[in-house]
Amino acid sequence: MTGEDTPRYTAPADLDGVVAALEGADEGTVLVGGGTMVVPAMTHGHVVPSALVDLGRAGLTGIREEDGATVVGAMTDYASLLAADTDRGPGHPLRLLARAAAGITGGPQIRNRGTLGGSASYANPASDVPGCLVALGARLRLASARGVREVPAQEFFLGAFRTARRPDEVLAELVLPHGDALAWGYVKFKLAESSWPVVTSAAAVLAGGGLRVALGAAADRPVALDVPAPHRGTADPAWRALVADGAARALADRGAAFVDDVLADAHYRAAVTPVIVARAVEGALRGADRQERGRA
Amino acid sequence: MSATATDRGTGRIGQAARKRDGALLLTGGARYIDDVRPPGTLYAAVVRSTVANARIRRVHAGEAEALPGTVLVLTGERARDLAAPTPYFIDPLVRGARRVDIRCLEPDRVVFVGQPVAAVVADTREGAQRAARLVRVDYDVLPHVLDAERALEPDAPRVYAEWPDNVVLSKSYGTGDPDGALESADVVVEGTFRSGRTTTAPIEPRGFLAHWDEHAQTLTMHGSCQNPHQLRWMLSATLGIPENRIRVVTEKVGGSFGLKMQGQPEETLVALLSMLAGAPVKWIEDRRESFLAGSRQQVHRFTVGARSDGRIVALVDRIVADAGAMTAQAGWAMPNMSATTLPSGYRVPDCRIDLSIVATNKPPLSAARGFGKDSAHLVMERAVDLVARRLGLDPAVVRERNFIRSDEFPYRTSTGLNIDSGDFHGLLDKATTSLGYRRWRERQREARASGEHIGLGLALELTPESSDSPGSFVSGFDTTTVRMSVTGSVTVLTGVTSPGGGNDTGIAQIVATELGVPLEWVRVVQGDTDRCPNGFGNFSGRSMVVGGGSAALAARDVRRTLALVGARMLGVPDAEVRDGAVVDPAGAGAVPVPEVALAVLTRSFDVASGVEPILESTRAYKPGNIDHRPDAHGRIQPYPTYSSCVHAAAVRVDAETGRVEIADYAMAHDCGTMINPALVEGQAWGAVVMGLGAALSEQLVFGEDGATLSDRFKSYLMPRAADVPEIRMEHQVTPSPYTMHGNKGAGEAGVGGAQAAIANAVEDALSPFGVVVDRVPLTPPAVLELIRRAAQEVAP
Repeated sequence: MTGEDTPRYTAPADLDGVVAALEGADEGTVLVGGGTMVVPAMTHGHVVPSALVDLGRAGLTGIREEDGATVVGAMTDYASLLAADTDRGPGHPLRLLARAAAGITGGPQIRNRGTLGGSASYANPASDVPGCLVALGARLRLASARGVREVPAQEFFLGAFRTARRPDEVLAELVLPHGDALAWGYVKFKLAESSWPVVTSAAAVLAGGGLRVALGAAADRPVALDVPAPHRGTADPAWRALVADGAARALADRGAAFVDDVLADAHYRAAVTPVIVARAVEGALRGADRQERGRA
Repeated sequence: MSATATDRGTGRIGQAARKRDGALLLTGGARYIDDVRPPGTLYAAVVRSTVANARIRRVHAGEAEALPGTVLVLTGERARDLAAPTPYFIDPLVRGARRVDIRCLEPDRVVFVGQPVAAVVADTREGAQRAARLVRVDYDVLPHVLDAERALEPDAPRVYAEWPDNVVLSKSYGTGDPDGALESADVVVEGTFRSGRTTTAPIEPRGFLAHWDEHAQTLTMHGSCQNPHQLRWMLSATLGIPENRIRVVTEKVGGSFGLKMQGQPEETLVALLSMLAGAPVKWIEDRRESFLAGSRQQVHRFTVGARSDGRIVALVDRIVADAGAMTAQAGWAMPNMSATTLPSGYRVPDCRIDLSIVATNKPPLSAARGFGKDSAHLVMERAVDLVARRLGLDPAVVRERNFIRSDEFPYRTSTGLNIDSGDFHGLLDKATTSLGYRRWRERQREARASGEHIGLGLALELTPESSDSPGSFVSGFDTTTVRMSVTGSVTVLTGVTSPGGGNDTGIAQIVATELGVPLEWVRVVQGDTDRCPNGFGNFSGRSMVVGGGSAALAARDVRRTLALVGARMLGVPDAEVRDGAVVDPAGAGAVPVPEVALAVLTRSFDVASGVEPILESTRAYKPGNIDHRPDAHGRIQPYPTYSSCVHAAAVRVDAETGRVEIADYAMAHDCGTMINPALVEGQAWGAVVMGLGAALSEQLVFGEDGATLSDRFKSYLMPRAADVPEIRMEHQVTPSPYTMHGNKGAGEAGVGGAQAAIANAVEDALSPFGVVVDRVPLTPPAVLELIRRAAQEVAP
């Protein structure tokens, strides 16, 4: 690159510095987390930023407990999520994130670079994190010179690569409330190892016997589904039909539709959605069952 | 033969010597084309068509030229005055096909999205790309056609307005009376098969660095390419530079698979840009550009007849091959080999194969590993399975009943190929034993009871190798120089090149063995037209057959001189060269080869008197079995050797999502004598995995406007480690009677058999649904669609 095209680069040492660097920022300002997406995009000239704010030195890492919730720094990488998944109950939010992190392809380089906050902010519909955050009922803490606000995951993801984050805001932390989940199930369905996910589903069995289910990758944004407990098993065609209806309704409510792309058309995504949800629910039920037997 | 892939030995023929450049490659020390950076290098970017069929009205270069850093913008109009059309690697006229002029930049029209229309040279790669984006082209857009069958319809848009239709070549192959044989057959089965459009996707894309030296009037071209000598000839033809003023140098190549055979527009283009810029100009293909090159897309409608015992009596196949736009590269000719490789290694004397190669407004075919032969196996192996299914016979049994027997070789097939040797029954036995075919059949029964869908698939793959195409630079011979210095060190200069597979190691093993010196003394130099003898590079599994054969002949010449002079030094009548010494076979003494070499080259009027004082020989090697004199049916025989293999696959199909998991995989492989079993296995694994990708996930997808949509590795899905089980590899060695060491070509076998075995296995798994597999790739959406369609047919 020649001098006049070189974007302004800053690597603030803390959150305050990031917030200051972003003051008055516009769409041309690009935040760099792990850089796994934005750096290749810049290399190919698809993203030409006027300013770069590198979060690499700003801290924003670490996992702590806070008022019935687990708070994860936005710069926490997948490897750290995997390492944090010890001695937690099967219903703990980190168990779901660790499950998702375990399926991140690209090897140690990506697991050590890619971050939870980066993936959320990038909002690629075909990725694990958005759907998981919706399933977890996560709140995304956005900081700017105007202060800090929290946005529920459902409202954060507006569409493909579009979020509620304003150009002068940085995603600082993700708040994962400890709900009534007994166990998590997660299924990422891909056409082959190298493909983007085509449909993902995260499911929790709740203390009252109900389910909480989210669907990712199927549409341009993740959605939560209303799914009844499968009394005749997850293979029951009648229950599968309810799941399919629930998915269609959830997408319609959010003004979204099944994605039609180079990997799979919308019909295919619609057809496998109840299958993938059923498998995620099946996993959650098994987890809850194991816990039940462990207690007994 | 007791060779194994782990016996590294001392590097003689048959031992698994380590790849000579392995350490360099693994430590990042190898030099590829992009590592060549002479001072003052400028960078090129290609402006490509954004429409699939159009007349070019005007090219606006002003904005690009005004951008700081831009050195020049070349349009098609100007390029036409400076460079002649690119000569074809395989001239369509020689094959009875239609041709068009292929230019480095199209001045008047474009016929596919991605066709080069202009080029930019700038001081950086990024600058060149930015300037390229500023070049605007006005088009008069014409209707386009993307489907080959649609392109055959009378009212289809015409790819080339001057042609009466879109047919590149229409030709029939085969002998006998297939219609009569079908009439008298006990069963007749019809089928359709469609193969997707795939690409080769080497880890290193194409790239060239051209340097025109105005003072010396010489052109030096560094390239990641397979055929340096053909490239030199081509540059001479397009740019009017005498061949002896052009030097082509191939650096390390990070995979080719046919993509880097000569004939692509950018070759002339980069050289021309260097002449215009008066500086070295480099162009490295972007991955998106690399994804333009297509391969394999064909539709087959076939009919096969059999007796009730499973003996196949006739095959009729009508092939429509989608060539995309025409290319000067060898790719357009691949479908010919789909036709002639039928009916593979089966005894089917009555065949008719009608081939139409059809132009469409998609990017051209590039040569691709398998070179069309792979598609023949898809059809033949599907036909065998359909017969087995119709008759309720096990597919293994039907294969046994139809294979050419090992006592029938050489065997001339209906399409004219003269198969040199083989033992297909032996391969089937090895593959099924290795897989545990019977055990898997039991598992399949048990699994069905619990609603799980396991399937088994078999496939024979016959791979004609080391081809010679008359009147083209597809050459069935090659040339090697072996040169020994006064210190005994050996330099081998060969006309064959390595795409990275390691044939340099194999050639060094042959020279070391034939010369009688340690492997470490031998250095192989490839891919430099100023240093290596005239040759043809790598394709068609030829490198060890003709590169190895010519190296052996040259090494034997040098060895004879060493033995003669060495015997004099020992004072014995005859001597042998062994392990780096000239020895008296009676055991009376030995003299080290370096001392003999020194004597030959410094005592030529003394101990070496009467001996021509040269420890160097250049020899060409022509294998047997090639015959271009047409027989009574007009058939020619372009291949010396026929490698063979049998694949056995076990798959699990998820009937709810359509996803196929390869549960187990075995390949029994026969390429005759293995010069280096580890290199053979490396090639075979790679070819199988390439076939598995074509079978299950790889597919070029186009938008309605003709743009390639699958232009990243997240949308063009190549297999990863987790997609492929550990392949069980068995070897059988049936030496070829027609080659120097009994070896046959290796490296292509795997692509076709893997596709066929997977297609058969998926159909077997889904037989409870009544599914008939009629396509690859069997992506999850495709499999679900097959299940849905079968259900509709059962319950309309």
